[in-house]
Amino acid sequence: MYRGREGQWAYFLHRITGVALVLYLLLHVFDISLVMYGPDGPFNAFLMFYHQWPFRIGLVMVIAAVVYHALNGLRIILLDFTTWGIRYQRVMWYTVLGVTTVIGVPVLVKILPEIFGGA
Amino acid sequence: MAVRPKNLQEARDRSRNNAELAWWVFMRVSGLFLVFLVFAHVFVNNILINVATVDYNYVATRLAKPGVKVFDTFLLGLAMLHGVNGLRVVIGDNIRRPGLRFWVQVVLIVVSVGIFVAGVMTLWAFSYREMGDAIRDLTSGH
Repeated sequence: MYRGREGQWAYFLHRITGVALVLYLLLHVFDISLVMYGPDGPFNAFLMFYHQWPFRIGLVMVIAAVVYHALNGLRIILLDFTTWGIRYQRVMWYTVLGVTTVIGVPVLVKILPEIFGGA
Repeated sequence: MAVRPKNLQEARDRSRNNAELAWWVFMRVSGLFLVFLVFAHVFVNNILINVATVDYNYVATRLAKPGVKVFDTFLLGLAMLHGVNGLRVVIGDNIRRPGLRFWVQVVLIVVSVGIFVAGVMTLWAFSYREMGDAIRDLTSGH
């Protein structure tokens, strides 16, 4: 595998989070559409299944992927539509990682106790 | 497409046709909207509440609201187009055999259209208050 610098990792993470998010999206829309079977249908059984802790950890990772993909997407827009974007691509990527962490930590503080019963 | 275009002019020059150029622009425009739509969606359903409390009642009550229907329709439409087109490009870049690549993309589009239609029906085709009875009538055989 080609080991590039920051730009390569930004690209790789954007792709892997993007693929994960669209697979989650398809599953999520399918799940929610089960409400059409009504209150006695399979909807609640499906949700209870996904409320188990391994899937809730998975959902936290989905949220992390959303934040990174969104912020790096904004970086890509700046690279493509401004004259100065390319010059600052590296510092913008570290900004993306920083802001992802700044958003991610309070989300973890809020959600992890819900999963493991601390709240 | 071996090397990604780096700006609008390069994308325009490299595009084999106008459709691929339109998709390139669409990914950036839809992405900008999706940042706000998806952040709001995640915030309302994961931060304002404990997501483990979500059940049939919560979803049916939420989807019965006209504002949620309109918001979620934009979210569903843009997210599906952005996500499925992204996956189409990833498949195009990573599956080398043309025959296999074509059929994987066909399966992706067919499955996605089916799920999108289910999503639109979920938002617009049902009155959640009366639905429990309607479903029971349908399935009781009379």
